[in-house]
Amino acid sequence: MTDIYSIPIIARGRIIEPGEDAVEYQGRGGARFRTPDPHKHIHDLVLGNPVLLHDLMDTPVHEIVDFLAEVGKRLRLEDNAYLQESFALALQAGGLAEPILRGVYDDLPRMFDPDAMSALIDKSVGIDYLDGWVPGDGAYANCRVRAVGTRQLHITAGNVPVVAALTIVRGALTKSDVLIKAPSNDPLTANAICRSLIDIDAGHPVTKHVAVAYWKGGDEEMDRQIVRVSRIDKITAWGGMSSVKHIQKFLTPGIDLTALNPKYSMSVIGKEALESEEAMAEAATGIAVISGFYNQTACANTRIVYVESETDDASLQKVVQLGHKVVEAFNKLPQEISTPVEKRNHDLEAEMAAVALEDDFYHVEGNTLTGGVVVSKFSDRVDFYDQLNNRVVNIVPMPNLLEVAKWCDDTTQTVGVYPESLRETLLDPFALAGVQRLVSLTGGDAMQLFHDMHTLPPGMPHDGIEPLRRNVRWVIDQRAPDNVVPMAIAAE
Amino acid sequence: MADAVMARTELDPSCPGNWLDDGYERLLAMSWRDAEEVQLKVLRRRFEELKDSVAALERLAKREGVTKVDSLEDALPLLFDHRVYKSYPISLIENRDIAKLNSWLGRLTTHDLSKVDLTGIQTIDAWLDRLDEFGMLIGHSTGTTGKLSFIPRSRTEYHAFRACHNEASRASSGVNPWNDPIETFFPGYRGGHQMALKMLFLFNIDAAGGPEHYHTLYPGNISADLMSLAGRMQAAEDRGELEKLGLDPALLKAREEMIAQGKRREQDIEAFFFTLFEKFRGKRVKIGGTFGDLIRTARTGIEKGYKPEFGPGSFIATGGGMKGFKDPPEDWEGYVKDYFGIERVSMVYGMSEGTGFAPRCSEKYFHIMPHTMPVLFDRDMNMLPRVGTQTGRFAFFDPMAETYWGGFISGDQVTINWEEDCPCGWKGPRVGPVITRFAEMEGGDDKISCAGTAQAYNEFMDFVSQV
Repeated sequence: MTDIYSIPIIARGRIIEPGEDAVEYQGRGGARFRTPDPHKHIHDLVLGNPVLLHDLMDTPVHEIVDFLAEVGKRLRLEDNAYLQESFALALQAGGLAEPILRGVYDDLPRMFDPDAMSALIDKSVGIDYLDGWVPGDGAYANCRVRAVGTRQLHITAGNVPVVAALTIVRGALTKSDVLIKAPSNDPLTANAICRSLIDIDAGHPVTKHVAVAYWKGGDEEMDRQIVRVSRIDKITAWGGMSSVKHIQKFLTPGIDLTALNPKYSMSVIGKEALESEEAMAEAATGIAVISGFYNQTACANTRIVYVESETDDASLQKVVQLGHKVVEAFNKLPQEISTPVEKRNHDLEAEMAAVALEDDFYHVEGNTLTGGVVVSKFSDRVDFYDQLNNRVVNIVPMPNLLEVAKWCDDTTQTVGVYPESLRETLLDPFALAGVQRLVSLTGGDAMQLFHDMHTLPPGMPHDGIEPLRRNVRWVIDQRAPDNVVPMAIAAE
Repeated sequence: MADAVMARTELDPSCPGNWLDDGYERLLAMSWRDAEEVQLKVLRRRFEELKDSVAALERLAKREGVTKVDSLEDALPLLFDHRVYKSYPISLIENRDIAKLNSWLGRLTTHDLSKVDLTGIQTIDAWLDRLDEFGMLIGHSTGTTGKLSFIPRSRTEYHAFRACHNEASRASSGVNPWNDPIETFFPGYRGGHQMALKMLFLFNIDAAGGPEHYHTLYPGNISADLMSLAGRMQAAEDRGELEKLGLDPALLKAREEMIAQGKRREQDIEAFFFTLFEKFRGKRVKIGGTFGDLIRTARTGIEKGYKPEFGPGSFIATGGGMKGFKDPPEDWEGYVKDYFGIERVSMVYGMSEGTGFAPRCSEKYFHIMPHTMPVLFDRDMNMLPRVGTQTGRFAFFDPMAETYWGGFISGDQVTINWEEDCPCGWKGPRVGPVITRFAEMEGGDDKISCAGTAQAYNEFMDFVSQV
């Protein structure tokens, strides 16, 4: 529990180990880590001169993809010592159980699949636009457009380590310079990936445009040094409202913020789920998967389940039955998806215990170790809905599911739907209300559901926006009408 | 045996509400270890009396499998969390479903609230007024989290409540509120059902020597309706649907006034204090207010060259921590004392959920008297041993709660020294000097996750909670 991890700064192909000037931080779960004092390495972290990106600009996308694919081959937990260290620390710190975390790490090479990466960048930005200047149509051929890489700061989320890999891949594919501020609950994954880049080719333009460091969230001195128009063009801030609000203090025109702010997701269940044992079991499995995967640490995890039902005693009895089946289903989830946890969530249990005293209003089952439900006996979510975690969901009876739209907004990322017939009625109103994605809970096979909800075509929007498109600069080369660049050169 | 206990502690287990009748002195001269046996008797009796008549306790005892209480440890699973006092669905408030709210509250007290006539009641304030007429003394919280707690105190506890307030104040200030009236300034509302304000209104007007000697910043009462609906109203206003809530127009107007008042508050407090400085120059006074109010007034006063001058025996009565006040002076107490020219700063430690208050001594520790049974818990909710110095989450049993269950676990993290060797001479477990909020912080202060967990920040509530 008292291990001290050394976390070097990764500075564009160089590794700066913590030395004399090291500073120590308290991580999650009792781990401590030492890093070089980030205040003394500002210039190693930022790219003051954007023209230095020309090396990456001149590297064709296919070469970048080839390089990343090579990196992906090395990102196997069993034979990558860096990842093993990062895995050990994430295990201790991040709050994900071992089998789940292993699953996440095992998935890393897949994120570096060359075909998927090519499709991702081509769909979202367009390879032609990154590799060259693309002339307009017909009479506008004198106007050419190019997607140009930028200098990006990424304040990453640590609850799921894929964010680190995602950020490095996206940065390289957009031919951008990336500075990653690692989170305290996953300080090593980005590091581990970058060290693998360095091992393969420390001089590769991709390697030379990634920097990773940890500094304390809210360190105004650091943020003031880094978040300047002269040093950063784009910021992507994941997670905590406080981190997003904090960084907003330093924004000025010229710095574009993409705030992937915290999300609460939910599910809507049609009355069909209450009509037979089989349907109830199928819906319960769907709810358990979408609520329970990654142990409810992700933004796409359902926390509130709205069920089409009246609120008379007979109807409520069925809703309670569904709740019971959800608790059972949590315990049947494959361990690669979800597991019981070792530590109680005291705050949430206190909330559950308090409402459990109120039979008239709530039915409570389960706990924060193995999962549970709080069934509202009226059409409103619990007041502590923003604390639902540890595989505990609130099930709310709603005579009319369209009413749910009043609780949807920018924070409603993913909505699980059962059965599919419900989708048509809800899709448009929910989309207008702020919902960013609807997924299916039909099928009853936990592994299949989990796989399906995590399989999106390349280049799809994220949280209602297109981050890759947004993170490049779209530059126009507008020539005199008679100065059209010959196609042969344009296509070069 | 019973006689021997009586002789040693002189505490009558049959009426803890009278323990303070002869003043705080003998209680603070008594070791908590000597009071323990009597306290346990009271605890045992309270559980017997309340386990079938307070529905929420009955339910909890059943769930925890507790059928009798012979020791403090037996009773630990029965501590009410603060959430128990606000376990009603917020929609009851939003829909002003007073009948359901009333029956919810009824589960927390031995009083039969179904007998309360709710005819014509449309607001929370009117409901609480009606409950007061019925014989209750319900106090609600400030609702910082957007939801009010209701503490089911009643007239039955009034005698003890007043004694606790007045004796703690006397111990900490040196001025006797029972018979030595003192001109009092309080930069807030005059009253209302919020527990602290209700208490000040109930006891401090007498202590001041009558309404004309009790000066408040605002002449009116704080509104429970505004506090409880603030979050909902803000959300509705954002959607442009405030009128759809179907609220009494008077309430909407009151809200606007309150917002305007909130914006002016700092200037108003200055004006309030500076006027009183002139009017009561040289007189003996008692000055209330939060740390922030006092520091801000002192800062502006120094800036503008207003120097108050009060008579001997004046004191400052404050509490509640900095509550987000930015950049306080390092020795804020010294700073405030210097400015006001007042030597004595009176503070007590207590909370809405408990009847007892711990007065602060000359060494800046809060001494708990035998009419509160304190317990500390670690993060895993194990009781910490009652020896030496311990830091943990503060909980207590309140033997004076006769008509509701007095076991409560707070959100405060405190340090208690159990050894009764305070240089001030007072006995009893002593708390402090620092009191913080107990939060689940296990290192990693900037853990980032994409899942939303934090309460949305609500500026309006933030302002309202500074009563």
